[in-house]
Amino acid sequence: MVQTTRGWTVVMEWLEARGQQPFTFQEEAWEQYLLGKSGMVNAPTGYGKTFSLFLAVIIAWINEHPNDFQRTAKNGLQLLWITPLRALAKDLGRAMQEVVDELGLAWQVGIRNGDTPTSMRTAQKKQMPEVLIITPESLHLLLGQKHYPSVFTHLQCVVTDEWHELLGTKRGVMVELALSRIKNLVRNNWSNDLRIWGISATIGNLEEALEVLLGHDAAHGVIVRALINKEIALKSILPDGIEELPWAGHLGIRLLDKAIPIIEQSRTTLIFTNTRSQAEIWYQEILRRYPDYAGAIALHHGSLDMELRIWVEDALHTGRLKAVVCTSSLDLGVDFRPVDTVIQVGSPKGVARFLQRAGRSGHQPGAVSKIFFLPTHSLELVEAAALKEAMEENFIESRPPVVLAYDVLLQYLMTLGISDGFYAHQIWQEVTSTFCFQDMTPEDWQWALSFLTTGGEALHSYDEFRKLERNGNFYACHSRQLALRHRLHIGAIVSDAMLKVKFITGGYVGVVEEYFLSRLSPGDAFSLGGHNLEFIMIKDMTALVRKSHAKKTIVPSWNGGRIPLSANLGKMLRKKFQEAIAGHATDPELIALQPLFALQAHLSHIPSAKELLIEKINTKDGHHLFVYPFEGRLVHQVMAALLAFRISMHHPITFSIAMNDYGFELLSDQPIPLNDDNVKALFSLQDLNTDLQRSINATEMARRKFRDIAVIAGLIFQGYPGRNKTNRHLQSSASLLFNVFRDYDPQSLLLRQAYNEAYFYQIEEARLRDMLGRIENHSIVITQPERLTPFCFPIKVDSLRENLTSEKLSDRIKKLQQQNFRPVDDKPSKPAKPTRAGTPRKLL
Amino acid sequence: MDDLIFHHRSQHWVLSPHKAIYWQEEQALIVSDLHLGKSAHFRKAGIAVPANIVQEDLFCLQKLITLYQPLRIIIVGDLFHSVANNDIAYFRLWRQQFAHLAFELVQGNHDILRPALYAELQVQVHTHLQLRNIYFAHDAEEALPQKKYVISGHIHPGVVISGMGKQSMRLPCFYFGKKYAVLPAFGKFTGLASVAPEPQESVFVIADQQVLQWQ
Repeated sequence: MVQTTRGWTVVMEWLEARGQQPFTFQEEAWEQYLLGKSGMVNAPTGYGKTFSLFLAVIIAWINEHPNDFQRTAKNGLQLLWITPLRALAKDLGRAMQEVVDELGLAWQVGIRNGDTPTSMRTAQKKQMPEVLIITPESLHLLLGQKHYPSVFTHLQCVVTDEWHELLGTKRGVMVELALSRIKNLVRNNWSNDLRIWGISATIGNLEEALEVLLGHDAAHGVIVRALINKEIALKSILPDGIEELPWAGHLGIRLLDKAIPIIEQSRTTLIFTNTRSQAEIWYQEILRRYPDYAGAIALHHGSLDMELRIWVEDALHTGRLKAVVCTSSLDLGVDFRPVDTVIQVGSPKGVARFLQRAGRSGHQPGAVSKIFFLPTHSLELVEAAALKEAMEENFIESRPPVVLAYDVLLQYLMTLGISDGFYAHQIWQEVTSTFCFQDMTPEDWQWALSFLTTGGEALHSYDEFRKLERNGNFYACHSRQLALRHRLHIGAIVSDAMLKVKFITGGYVGVVEEYFLSRLSPGDAFSLGGHNLEFIMIKDMTALVRKSHAKKTIVPSWNGGRIPLSANLGKMLRKKFQEAIAGHATDPELIALQPLFALQAHLSHIPSAKELLIEKINTKDGHHLFVYPFEGRLVHQVMAALLAFRISMHHPITFSIAMNDYGFELLSDQPIPLNDDNVKALFSLQDLNTDLQRSINATEMARRKFRDIAVIAGLIFQGYPGRNKTNRHLQSSASLLFNVFRDYDPQSLLLRQAYNEAYFYQIEEARLRDMLGRIENHSIVITQPERLTPFCFPIKVDSLRENLTSEKLSDRIKKLQQQNFRPVDDKPSKPAKPTRAGTPRKLL
Repeated sequence: MDDLIFHHRSQHWVLSPHKAIYWQEEQALIVSDLHLGKSAHFRKAGIAVPANIVQEDLFCLQKLITLYQPLRIIIVGDLFHSVANNDIAYFRLWRQQFAHLAFELVQGNHDILRPALYAELQVQVHTHLQLRNIYFAHDAEEALPQKKYVISGHIHPGVVISGMGKQSMRLPCFYFGKKYAVLPAFGKFTGLASVAPEPQESVFVIADQQVLQWQ
């Protein structure tokens, strides 16, 4: 009985002295751990998930050293704790050290990540702390050091925290690879009973998450679930009358006055927006309308100065702030106890993200998480109803794991090459024991090795390629310069080209995309971090600015702001529409929307779960065709191109295409030949692959995916910090490399990976097939409304936003509004000048 | 090959889809920005780009020489990409077959080999070159004070051609402006920089092995 062991008793007594009692799942995790099992703990944040594993390791330690567990010091690394976030490490380390001290253990808890000073690293090298909290990148850096195996001599356990965040990313693959190496080392060299554990929030594919974490050992893994249902209260912020809510829009500022009383009644509120530009606008608008909030509210997003963000986080801890406008930058991270309310502005696009954000409030065990949903346009209210039901049913998205990420593999092999080198047959065994590379063929493995040794070519006398050198079956890197450069490149997060923004008088504001700055002229005003700034010039990769008094500023539109609707939420959305037409809707949101549904039903039709609605509408702009699959904008984009292609095959016609998360639009200057007779064939699964290849520009999509791949695989040399210029001759763009590979080395696995990623992430081929399969069994309803319907309106406006400048957009919206006697969003977004591929160079 | 003869500055310029100009009056083949040795430079640094690009580039140049039989070759800069490497050894061998053909290099910012090496390779290096009323320089911007018509390279010019459905592509181009002309980059391992020509200037794009007048 593990419960009677010395360690268990010591820990229980300690908890009792603190007036605490373990949760059932914690005890279960300790038990499984003491039985030598590996596995995964599934628990919500704020319920002691850390202690479920950390204390297990302590108990085991005490059990093994029952008489001198307090005395023995310098025991070497016992527990490796991988966390995706640097920000988490400090608090985590403090909490662990506290436990260690109170129990009187002579253990050290250390942290190792990008912020760790060199002196600390050197000290760690001499004497590893018993617990090391590390990021995936720093772990790989550790594997890139000479004599790294000795670090793991005494290792008992590796814990991967927030595994759901890493799963489905290339950083997750980095963890898989590092674990494969460490497991083999520890088990073969020192026969320690190494245990691998993960901690994950609830996701749709927990079992698979365990499989990915443990690789070949997954069959013996256990999942310990905390059967704690965190109570989440979702309430929509409704306008006084539904007609006040615009039919289209994405800012939601119109309902700001309704949000203020909520902030007033709460201790601290987090206001989540979906994009950084939206956060900037909200922050400024609150201060403009409620100047008393100056100093009591703050802004937090990924482009702001780190120091400022840390200040905001600290102020959140101490409860000094009334509200913070933020983006996904605050999705994760440490608990902010004073936060008792969350407002989500606009659709969160997924159930998991919404839960995550809701969980940011009421962090204490037992507390209710309060989240308010603030719609930016009327149909979005249906999403609130859908989210509510999805949460009740625990209908949470899966995180599909990354497979065959050759770019990460190449980086990893090079990492091993710059430390102690490696034997190919041994690493092949380890690598293919991971989930990511379990299906890798020996040919692909040979390709990877030759890519690093001969640069992918058969050796010939002219070639001077060097990276790894081969000696029999042993591979190692002998160039100090290459090793140094590789160390700087370790990692799988590829950021866009960003420029720092600084005041000309000194003082750092944040970063913006180079692409945004390239469109500014000196004297232009823009907003960042709540400041109005005047752009002066770019110097040494830094944009210099001064404070601006301009009334109107441009808000940077950071790329990647638009997240598509998840499949789960889409499914729930279709269900809610069905409830609405069946007339048995009970959600207040759906009831509030009844007038809108009535209008939709009157003008056109509301599709049931077994119907696909198509609307054909004629306006002055031409002939519109609207289709509503509710599958998210990525799928709609591909679907629209496919449909346009199939129609145009039989009939010469040109379209312009627009889409949102609910549906898409084809617009033509001539009637669109789609009717009851041919519609089924147009949505058929037959010839999907060939039609897809002919309708979408897969090469362009792959080219975009290739950028990250090229950086991770080490093809793009980003220069040494502070020494950019000396290496100019090694610079090239990913797009150029893509062309060169396509023309001269089309068999490259990196190209294949780019196409696979495009099909998987950009085209979402699987989801497209599902959708077409579903449509096959649906009845298709084609209506011909006389004017624009509530469903099609947001798509139509969205399409305008992408094509026209802001002035024209506002004119167009005014016109549309007059046609429809309905208000639209109060403050249309300002997509600055139209975008182009690169900035043209002005000839003299 | 679909050449196009362009009359400009009272001279005949044959624009080749292989990114070269044959100047009929002077019987000179003009190319720019070959960046020979670039892939070898990358590979030497452990960046595994495909290796045979230099062979492709030089084979292409060889075909142009055979076609036009020029008396000399003018390279408006960036013949080589960087410091010496084995691609340059390959060039040395390749050069032998045209031993009597003059190679005149107007030095570009990438041309940083030792003077002695250029001599060995039988490449004459000039900071600029003037023939008839034409002034050759790598970077037109720096040559403008000469107040002569400049033929240059350096930019790797391309124009963005956009069509329906938000589709656009960038094509390499010959640019003939009021004060100077720019050649497209000859090398296959070179990128493109978009240019924005004035309406009255002449631009020829290269698409599908053809030279087409764009404006």
